[in-house]
Amino acid sequence: MAPRPCAVLGIGQTKYRRRRDDVTLDGLVREAALGALEDAGAGFDDIDAIVLGKAPDALEGVMMPLLSLCDALGAVGKPIHRVHTAGSVGASTAISAVNLVESGMYDTVLTIAYEKQSEGNATWALSGGKSGGQGAGGTFAPWIRNYIARSKAPEHIGWMVAVKDRLNALKNPFAHLHLPDISVEKVRESPMLWDPLHFLESCPSSDGAAAMVLGNDDIAKKSGRPPAWVISHAKRTEFGQFPGRDTVRPQAGVECSEALYRKAGITNPREQIDCAELYVPFSWYEPMWLEGHLIAEEGEGWKMTDAGHTELGGSFPVNMSGGVLSSNPIGASGMIRCLEAANQVRGTAGEYQVPGAKISIGHAYGGAAQYYAMWMVSSELNPEL
Amino acid sequence: MPALHDVDYTLEYPYTRTTGPVIGPFLTGLRDGRILGQRCGSRVLCPPMEFDPDTAATLEPDLVEVGPGGEVVNWTWVAEPSAKHPFDRPFGFAFIKLDGAETALVHAVDTGGDAGAMSTGMRVRAQFRAERHGSIADVYFVPEADAVEQVIEPGEEPVTITEHLISLRVNEPLYPHRARFAQGLLDGKIIGQRSPVTGKVYVPGRGYDNMSRVLLDESDEVEVSDAGTVVAFTELNPVQYYGQTETEPYVRCSILFDGTDQPVIGIDIRDMTVDEMRVGMRMRCVWRDPEDRSVADIDNRYGNVPETVYARFEPTGEPDVPAEELKEHSW
Repeated sequence: MAPRPCAVLGIGQTKYRRRRDDVTLDGLVREAALGALEDAGAGFDDIDAIVLGKAPDALEGVMMPLLSLCDALGAVGKPIHRVHTAGSVGASTAISAVNLVESGMYDTVLTIAYEKQSEGNATWALSGGKSGGQGAGGTFAPWIRNYIARSKAPEHIGWMVAVKDRLNALKNPFAHLHLPDISVEKVRESPMLWDPLHFLESCPSSDGAAAMVLGNDDIAKKSGRPPAWVISHAKRTEFGQFPGRDTVRPQAGVECSEALYRKAGITNPREQIDCAELYVPFSWYEPMWLEGHLIAEEGEGWKMTDAGHTELGGSFPVNMSGGVLSSNPIGASGMIRCLEAANQVRGTAGEYQVPGAKISIGHAYGGAAQYYAMWMVSSELNPEL
Repeated sequence: MPALHDVDYTLEYPYTRTTGPVIGPFLTGLRDGRILGQRCGSRVLCPPMEFDPDTAATLEPDLVEVGPGGEVVNWTWVAEPSAKHPFDRPFGFAFIKLDGAETALVHAVDTGGDAGAMSTGMRVRAQFRAERHGSIADVYFVPEADAVEQVIEPGEEPVTITEHLISLRVNEPLYPHRARFAQGLLDGKIIGQRSPVTGKVYVPGRGYDNMSRVLLDESDEVEVSDAGTVVAFTELNPVQYYGQTETEPYVRCSILFDGTDQPVIGIDIRDMTVDEMRVGMRMRCVWRDPEDRSVADIDNRYGNVPETVYARFEPTGEPDVPAEELKEHSW
């Protein structure tokens, strides 16, 4: 039986900030949920099930948050479940919600992802609470070094991405970092955190939540809201460490994108996809994912960045919203990639709209670059490629 | 083999919570010696809630004082209190419906250790602690007849953020394969596990081969070389967080020891700069004197070849291994 078509019908985001001290965790998550409901022209009564995502519980120290958040999310008496796939969780959560609609189990699903990073410390949590922790940046930096060595990319590529995403963020009122005077010089001269990553090549630590209302084709018709049809999605996983693992170009990432493109009939992603929201928490991951997700040939990703193709207005814009480099409520960051891809094909991306965008992808990765979740959305249910 | 240490450490962190428009005034009230409930239609909810539990509607902050007396609607008895409990003698946990509230608050009742004094329907009364911080633990309950009158001086600033030192103590023996690996380090040896299926050698061994899904035991263990090749590195500028003791930048690298198929990650180098490191560089372990070696930081989840067993890693002077040959060992 063919899956029921599923569309994004409502999008809600909080303003991302260093600390949201005016609300509880519950209030923060609810803010995004209410935003998505309002955008969909729906209320809690219209929701059949809720799917919640966030990164490790140790980030806020709230165990099994899906239970304590039931009241805030109108989930009392309804099915709710929680997804956890480390940093990729926001996108995995969205895909889990899509599965519930595509299966025909539910007509309308609310999906939410969040992090309130100011309540704890991510580096502490990712270090098992011990001294000498390297955090995410320290884990990825050696692989970035190996990418640079392998691809012979010049060092300014990372700086360019850091500037480009922050300039895009100036057009996005929800973005955490608004750095109008960002420049390559500033990035280069900012402190070195994990060689070769400078402070300004790294994502911020944000409080925030993101939500979407997903519905099947009947609900989409009734709602009258511009739909973003989820025309393909894929998840893949590999071990964090095993003999033969290529950390620069993980096989699970390659296979995740192959599955994503195959299902949508995409044979030339660079030409057939209009723009992408890729999970780039550290500048160099833009070229690494352009290659690792088969948008560019191996060794060619940095040349797309260098030539300006990934800028807003370029031939393949990446992270039009400002990306993870501008807002990083970890658990929500993957969902933000998915909903920003949807914003593009719905024509609701405001100042960072890619004109006429018809097909876009949202992507996230997590753990030791070992969990992948990607989705493809389109303004049409059966777009001509 | 002598028994190695048990793992015994405490994971702790001072989390903060923003209290928002309803819980903030409730905690401020507790600090000031008052218990507040939230109006919800014709009802009063205590503990107060931000959202209507029936309709999920937002409740505008509308707090009214309840208690300090109330009725136990259900209870249980804590016969052996832990260090984290509010009393060091046996006590009751009870659902308490405070006077003026329609819902019950879960809280502790001190009967002086007498379980026989607890009953459903009993009257209790709030007592406030001398030191109050805007916390649910600022208050406790006693049988109404035992209550004393208190004069509470209100504090000044409203409570908007609370701090909670949450901790978890882990106390367990080292797994046998971890104990043998740690003992090897004390003896100046690096012990790996060879998969009988693929022949691949893992350091440290996990007790299983994740690629071919077979268990590995002592009979699969092999001593490997303490010389190897750098496959990846960075320089860490330590992020300061609770419990972090590192303050100065240092190099962290991964080394593929000769005769193994998976690099050891997290080897710290203090006497070389990042500019002196190269992928492909050959290095060897210079062990500490046996009496100076410690594996105290090795537990069942963390710890590979810690700095507490080696003095340094030094370049062997051999020619570098070409980076292409290391492509599949980059971690």
